[in-house]
Amino acid sequence: MRLLTLKLTQFKNYTSQGLQLAPRINCFVGKNGMGKTNLLDAIYYLCMCKSQQSLSDAHLTLHGEAFFRLEGHFYKNQKRYRIVAKVQARKRKVIECNDVAYPKLIDHIGLLPVVMIVPDDTRLATEGSEDRRRFLNNTLSQLDPRYLRDLVQYNRLLKQRNAALKQMGAERRFDAALLATYDEQLLAPATYLHQQRAAFQTQLVPALQAHYAAISGGQEQVSCTYRSALSESNLADLLVAAREKDRILQRTTVGIHRDDLLFQIGEYPLKKYASQGQLKSFVLALKLAQYAILRGEKKESPLLLLDDIFDKLDPSRVRQLIELLIEQEFGQVFITDTDEHRLASILNQFTVDYRKFRVAQGQIIDAAPDEKAQ
Amino acid sequence: MNFSSKLIEEAVSAFASLPGIGKKTALRLVLHLMSQEREITDQFAEALTQMRHNIKTCQRCHNLSDDVLCNICRDPRREPHTLCVVEGVRDIMAIEETAQYRGTYHILGGVISPIEGIGTADLNIDSLIQRIAEDQIKEIIMAISPTIEGDTTIFFLSKKLADQEVKISTIARGVSFGGELEYADELTLGRSIVARVPYRAKGE
Repeated sequence: MRLLTLKLTQFKNYTSQGLQLAPRINCFVGKNGMGKTNLLDAIYYLCMCKSQQSLSDAHLTLHGEAFFRLEGHFYKNQKRYRIVAKVQARKRKVIECNDVAYPKLIDHIGLLPVVMIVPDDTRLATEGSEDRRRFLNNTLSQLDPRYLRDLVQYNRLLKQRNAALKQMGAERRFDAALLATYDEQLLAPATYLHQQRAAFQTQLVPALQAHYAAISGGQEQVSCTYRSALSESNLADLLVAAREKDRILQRTTVGIHRDDLLFQIGEYPLKKYASQGQLKSFVLALKLAQYAILRGEKKESPLLLLDDIFDKLDPSRVRQLIELLIEQEFGQVFITDTDEHRLASILNQFTVDYRKFRVAQGQIIDAAPDEKAQ
Repeated sequence: MNFSSKLIEEAVSAFASLPGIGKKTALRLVLHLMSQEREITDQFAEALTQMRHNIKTCQRCHNLSDDVLCNICRDPRREPHTLCVVEGVRDIMAIEETAQYRGTYHILGGVISPIEGIGTADLNIDSLIQRIAEDQIKEIIMAISPTIEGDTTIFFLSKKLADQEVKISTIARGVSFGGELEYADELTLGRSIVARVPYRAKGE
């Protein structure tokens, strides 16, 4: 699968810009704040119907304008897909595939698998469990339409249940029958989501270990455990047991919305014991494992978006990574960097075609033709 | 818009306050009334005032009505022991259009949605439970939107009615009549297969 052309209109700092992309490696180079990451985010948006940076659509529109539009021509299994995103203030956003608008955006997720690696990924290791659940959801939603549907349903019911608990608290009464109704409805989606997450973790561990060893060259063993209250007991019993607590706290205190992934290095928690370098390698290995699993399940290579990887890795590690990408038959890759010569000098060590785009102030000022290895 | 008359301006903004009517349509309606006999406008206004002042809610089913009981509840030919539970008045009109239902109705006044501030106490649930005993209801048909909130409402009601001697069903959900299978979305089609309808039992 690959992206042939991309067109941005009033997206972030781009007024209007079209790009012809190379089949393997595309480099966006330029100074900070020029709009390199915005190009990656535009590609991500066309695959996932939202920004990778969890920005609202209003913040994605060029300042002072009322709408933005993205268009991408994708090629997959000998078929062309023309994906258009039209996003207007105060209107429903529209995603079209070959001129037909999706009735529901979730129908689009999974058609064009994508993995984006950003410097911010270290949050996965250092921040709260929400980032790790988002990682689980992001991967599984691309693999399984039912997962995403059940997730949407679960979240909606959870929101209603929490609102009901708040309302009961405010009115100083308690409606056990209504809570029992929500508990019953939560059961089916929660059980499915839990099963899928647990199955994913068993796939993730070997992939994570293999990539970590390849990137760090280190001897230390890394691992990842899926922690969920549902692994111990069934949700119906858990909700009944937590009911008094829920009533007092006025929110649902147990369920798959509290799940977590625990990362370890050696025998110890990653967050406390890993060095900065180990942390960065771990998170990168995690994202590459995500890529490998998506590729294995989807039977095609997802788009790989690498934002500012030199922030994560020193040049020798980047060289290793590029080598890994080229050797492993990765699909189309998009890389941003502030120093065009640094990236070019690494890429020139390999026999691989790549195209370099110079980015300045929301414009591609120069798209060099495919450069070959010397 | 510039109006030569304050009176016209007020009439236009009154029309424009209605859902689906913009300023230009409102002006067209006002000018239309202007072009007609004065009595027609009087009748028009009178109809609205009468409606607003004299409309009642049916004491039994909460339908809109001119009397204490609505014309469906008063109709002796309706099957009194079958009850169709709906969200609102428009649902009754839609079901009546089908001419397929001869029982009576009960309007809930919405579905349970605490996010929008609609709790169980805001719906006509107590009167429904009361009616089951009073009217000796044998079957309840839930004709409620197939949404998450609609499902919550059906689940909740069937819990509340668990110890009553009453049959509960919901309207069928799935592929629409006259629709083609290949165009049905997978969720709908999946539901249709799970809730399939027996056509011929084996050996018959």
